[in-house]
Amino acid sequence: MISCTEFILAYNEIFNYLHEKHGKEAVVDLWKYISDEFLQNLDELVAKKGIQGMKEYWSRTLEEEGADYEIKATEDEFVIEMYKCPSVGILRRTKHIKVYPYYCEHCKVLYSRVVEKYGFDYNLEIIDTNAGRCRLTIRKKR
Amino acid sequence: MSVHKDFHGALSCCLEYIYKKYGEKELDMCLRQIARNVYKPLIESLKTRGLAALEEHWRRIFTIEDGEFDLRYDGDVLVLNVKKCPAIWHMRERGYRIFEKFCEHCRIVNDEICKAAGYNSSVDYDQDAGSCTQKFWRRREG
Repeated sequence: MISCTEFILAYNEIFNYLHEKHGKEAVVDLWKYISDEFLQNLDELVAKKGIQGMKEYWSRTLEEEGADYEIKATEDEFVIEMYKCPSVGILRRTKHIKVYPYYCEHCKVLYSRVVEKYGFDYNLEIIDTNAGRCRLTIRKKR
Repeated sequence: MSVHKDFHGALSCCLEYIYKKYGEKELDMCLRQIARNVYKPLIESLKTRGLAALEEHWRRIFTIEDGEFDLRYDGDVLVLNVKKCPAIWHMRERGYRIFEKFCEHCRIVNDEICKAAGYNSSVDYDQDAGSCTQKFWRRREG
């Protein structure tokens, strides 16, 4: 069994494999598939509860992953201030693997497809890929 | 230690995508690349320390993931008996779709790790039951 504790390394290697064999577009297509086929739990929470649903979803997943982060949620805006992304931390600490250079972009594709359907703008600012620092801002469209 | 078991569902989704889009052979090649690169330290440890390295590996991850399992030696063969696979059970509990060939990843990844270290392996699984028996033994020369 590939343990869930080893998933990030396997995920990264799948990206490397697809990119080497079929190009970056194949990796982006995989991300779209994951978004459409696997993120139903986020989809349902956003559909039912909007920003509150986003808060529920990311609070649970980021806690389980052991992230160093802060969430700010208002009526119109949801922000994740990521200080240390746990996935990036694993990739940087694991010296024997080759980090997929576009790894952080998966967050742009996966989540934007879900929230934009429900009338939100999605913006992911990748601040420092080595430190795993980024800022996700989701705003209700005016 | 907190673990994010939803990653099993994400892995299942990735494997399903590769199988549907590129076929069984590509899925096999991708899993073998994961085995060689992600599990490089385990391969090295298996080469130098023998089956004790695998025994420790399985005990650690199945304990972290709260799986029901036992490990024993049948002569020179290490036998891992998984009574309740944490991946299958978690995906089922969360209502995730499980890729029809999900358990094949264990057989292929084990095979590649063992081959690289001079060992053989077998996996006899029942995906519906979420159980399997995995065996590992040193390859005989000649």
